[in-house]
Amino acid sequence: MNELTGPLLAVLAALAIYFLFRPGRGWLERWRRRLRLSDRVLSEDALKHLYHCEYEQRVATVQSLSGALGTPVEKVAGLVQRIEAGELATSEGASLRLTPKGREYALRIIRAHRLWERYLSEETGLKEPDWHKRAEQQEHRLTSSEADALAARMGNPPFDPHGDPIPTQRGQLPPRRGQPLTSLAVGERARIAHLEDEPEAVYAQLVAEGLHPLMAVQLTHVSAERICFRAEGEEHVLAPIVAANVAVVPLPREQPVEESLETLAVLEPGQEATVVGLSPNCRGLERRRLMDLGLLPGTVVAAEMRSPVGDPTAFRIRGALIALRGEQAANIRIGSRRQVA
Amino acid sequence: MSPANSREEVLEAAANLRWEVGPDLHDSLMEALYTDAARISDRVLSRDDARPAFDLDRTIDRLVTSRWLGFPIMMLLMAVVLWVTITGANVPSSLLSSLFLETLHPALKQAAAAAGLAWWLDGLLIDGMFLAVAWVVSVMLPPMAIFFPLFTLLEDFGYLPRVAFNLDRWFKMAGAHGKQALTMAMGYGCNAAGVVATRVIDSPRERLIATLTNNFSLCNGRWPTQILIATIFIGSLAPPALAGLVSAGSVMAVVLLGVGGTFLVSWGLSRTLLKGEASAFSLELPPYRPPRILQTIYTSLIDRTLIVLWRAVVFSVPAGAAIWLVSNTHVGGASLAEHLIQGMNPFGLLIGLNGVILLAYIIAIPANEIVIPTVLMLTVVSAGLPGVGEGAGVMFELDSASATLGVLEADGWTLLTGINLMLFSLLHNPCSTTLYTIWKETGSVKWTAASALLPVAMGFVVCFCVAQAFRWLGG
Amino acid sequence: MKPNPPPGACEICPAHHSANLKRLGVNMDRYHFVVALAGNPNTGKSTLFNSLTGLRQHTGNWPGKTVTRAEGGFAYQGSNYKLVDLPGTYSLLSTSTDEEIARDFILFGQPDVTVIVVDATRLERNLNLVCQVLEITGRAVVCLNLMDEAERHRLTVDERSLARELGVPVVPAAARQGRGVPMLIDMIHQVATGGFVCKPHRIQSEPPALKRAVSLLVEKLGAAFPDLPNARWVALRLLEGDARIEEAVRSGELAGLVRAPQGAATAAPAEGAG
Repeated sequence: MNELTGPLLAVLAALAIYFLFRPGRGWLERWRRRLRLSDRVLSEDALKHLYHCEYEQRVATVQSLSGALGTPVEKVAGLVQRIEAGELATSEGASLRLTPKGREYALRIIRAHRLWERYLSEETGLKEPDWHKRAEQQEHRLTSSEADALAARMGNPPFDPHGDPIPTQRGQLPPRRGQPLTSLAVGERARIAHLEDEPEAVYAQLVAEGLHPLMAVQLTHVSAERICFRAEGEEHVLAPIVAANVAVVPLPREQPVEESLETLAVLEPGQEATVVGLSPNCRGLERRRLMDLGLLPGTVVAAEMRSPVGDPTAFRIRGALIALRGEQAANIRIGSRRQVA
Repeated sequence: MSPANSREEVLEAAANLRWEVGPDLHDSLMEALYTDAARISDRVLSRDDARPAFDLDRTIDRLVTSRWLGFPIMMLLMAVVLWVTITGANVPSSLLSSLFLETLHPALKQAAAAAGLAWWLDGLLIDGMFLAVAWVVSVMLPPMAIFFPLFTLLEDFGYLPRVAFNLDRWFKMAGAHGKQALTMAMGYGCNAAGVVATRVIDSPRERLIATLTNNFSLCNGRWPTQILIATIFIGSLAPPALAGLVSAGSVMAVVLLGVGGTFLVSWGLSRTLLKGEASAFSLELPPYRPPRILQTIYTSLIDRTLIVLWRAVVFSVPAGAAIWLVSNTHVGGASLAEHLIQGMNPFGLLIGLNGVILLAYIIAIPANEIVIPTVLMLTVVSAGLPGVGEGAGVMFELDSASATLGVLEADGWTLLTGINLMLFSLLHNPCSTTLYTIWKETGSVKWTAASALLPVAMGFVVCFCVAQAFRWLGG
Repeated sequence: MKPNPPPGACEICPAHHSANLKRLGVNMDRYHFVVALAGNPNTGKSTLFNSLTGLRQHTGNWPGKTVTRAEGGFAYQGSNYKLVDLPGTYSLLSTSTDEEIARDFILFGQPDVTVIVVDATRLERNLNLVCQVLEITGRAVVCLNLMDEAERHRLTVDERSLARELGVPVVPAAARQGRGVPMLIDMIHQVATGGFVCKPHRIQSEPPALKRAVSLLVEKLGAAFPDLPNARWVALRLLEGDARIEEAVRSGELAGLVRAPQGAATAAPAEGAG
């Protein structure tokens, strides 16, 4: 036995050393790479924050960075040092600014993020909650040539599913669109262009209200305490400080006001109604398909019959009989219902 | 300015304008198009407003989608189609089989002998390849030539989309499309045709689901296996008066198990492997049109029956050769088949089957039609039964069920082997014709492999569990 | 409003030269004109294809039967026509493979005539596709198919007004019974040889912002590609970010699509083109 123990130990030790230090795929190497990756992820996220602040003309500080990254201030200080050492940002007093090189870097990450969200929303069956999470990871993995290939394949989309512009290959971005919701007068109509996602508590409130980009809104009441408006048939009330975080683009006045509380899902066989709009929740392949079939604002739709098991329902749409499932019908808003003559 | 420059300028201008136009360009363009379309249509279209007292389309629709009659009408039509297929196919099937097996085969053998063909060439060509093709054609052609035109008539009339409409809710629960009901029904005729039929499903995810699960529809080539095994192993357990009913019931149970498998696997696929695939439901219910019977029969024969048959024939030729070769190539005193059967027997017995069945399913992959003849031939080879069958490598069937039972029992088959063979016949890889079709339709090796491995794995697991339960119960 | 011609009227009208018609099936090595067959799914496109070429492609009462592109031919008045059956689509603006095939063929394949098969019973939805095709090519004939079904549903289509609105010939037909097919062939011939000069309808109802962007881009396109017949459509595609069109602009391929005025090709039909 003793004669065997020595060589056996030697072999085991050799194996352990091999697996630990194997070039490229050794455990140590992998561990270091993961550390570096998370370092890289953190600094890339920091650059993104700096860029967002710049785009929205806010001042970025170590404190705001710490809040945005959810990292203690002490750790952020080290991070800022590394970023400055890499000549990606400079600090002037308390405020942090991107260098041209840092701006370019940040735009590359934002481009990858928004492109990936666009990809997930248009070409996969994944639902809204998954997009942001997955894009937050994918943005650090996509190389810029991969991002370009993806963009080309999708027809270089100018906007992501939240209505935010996607930076071009050369890092161009249009000036910020829209004005604060608070600047509208009563009765004016506008379309939501962007929801500010910081501070987080305010953003959460906007999401809870069910607001999303591309939604049409009409102001009904403004006072010092609250701002009331209608959107997709529902009344919303926000504090002015919250409403200021909603950017809108005014709409021409002559268009009729969309008044609707109901969707196609409530249409009973024998009733008809006029389509007011497709919800922004319906997107990608499905949205294009429904529009190709003629489901557009102004289309008169009549429910003709229901499947014996209750779903789907067949609708007469521009002369053709089309079956839609309940959850699809719920994405199509309609005006008042009436019995078919 | 150089042309290349002015071209770049166009692209640059377009890129800038895209920010200005905003994200709803597609929406406003579609709206503009439909506004124009509606305006023109209003000007040129006039409708005779005196509503007819009787609107045929609407009446038929009310009837076939009604709460009380919708499902019974569907069942009735399906039953009629199946009944006409089964009874109608009997006569031509036996005619073809007697022509090929009793007339042509001996004639060919005689001619070969007269021409002095080497025994191995004669065996390979006539006993191997010719018999495989003959079997496939005589079992496959008549039912397909009846089933597909009937199905196509219903399709031309416009009834099939209504079936999808009636059943969509159940399929939706499994993450699938209502039209899958039709590709499944098509699969009862032939899985390869069922896979082609998934083209009518225009949503990518749902189409893949329908393609990957079509194999759970018991195809035309597997019905005879089910009926034979059910008759000799399960029907014989019941009193003679009830034997027919019991064996038919057990075949139905396997069919329903297949339906259950379809829903279960569809549900699983839509939530795991296929979660990220794009999906968009749309189902148009076209107006009814009177079917043109002669033309339908002609085109469905050409398009569906003959194409599928041709593929099956192409694939069964090498299979026939393989079947003959494994039983006639001798290594170390025993044929290759015997070695393989011996090798696979332990695993086969573990899952309640045996080496013969496993080997038969491997070499008869091109067509399920030749599984039973191959099983019988291999059984004779491995059990060494003298005087039964036609010789090594020559597939055959016996005239009576009891004779078949005798042969199988001599090789150690039990009730468990019978039950598991029925299960395995449902749950195994699709035939190579279907696999080839899946590959052609999806263009993906990955999905083709998945559609082959998934049912085999399920088959092994199910057979193993049944075998354990059976032995534990002391069966 | 003009009543529909009674069934069979086409068989006695002078346009009917059945003696001149030869169905060539797939044997067409030498052809003078290429005809594309576009349309919504399930409008009887394949049936029409079969009756024009004498082939027997399977057709069914299902949207989306034709998946692969089918080709065939016929000869009429001494000219050989190659007929290409495109996949049926509701639109040409989305991103599915079918739509790309149809769109690319109509634009880059430069068919001499595009026949748009229209279901007379669902006119409005079908006109959506017609308007899109007319933006790409003015050399088109609208085949108002399924007239028998429209009559059964008591619908009357005033095909003369429709032709006036669209600016291209409109031929009522019932392809399943062969009604209207001779007239259609004659119209194809007239458009191909320049006997009928089309003035295609163009989209009119786009919102002001879009209109502005399109006209700006059309101006730029005019500088780069003078005489481009479908500059408005190219502009729309560029605004939607169609990578294939961007490439055609960048490489200058688009310049090759500027064709001689309609009818000029008839003087010397290209023998065995392609």
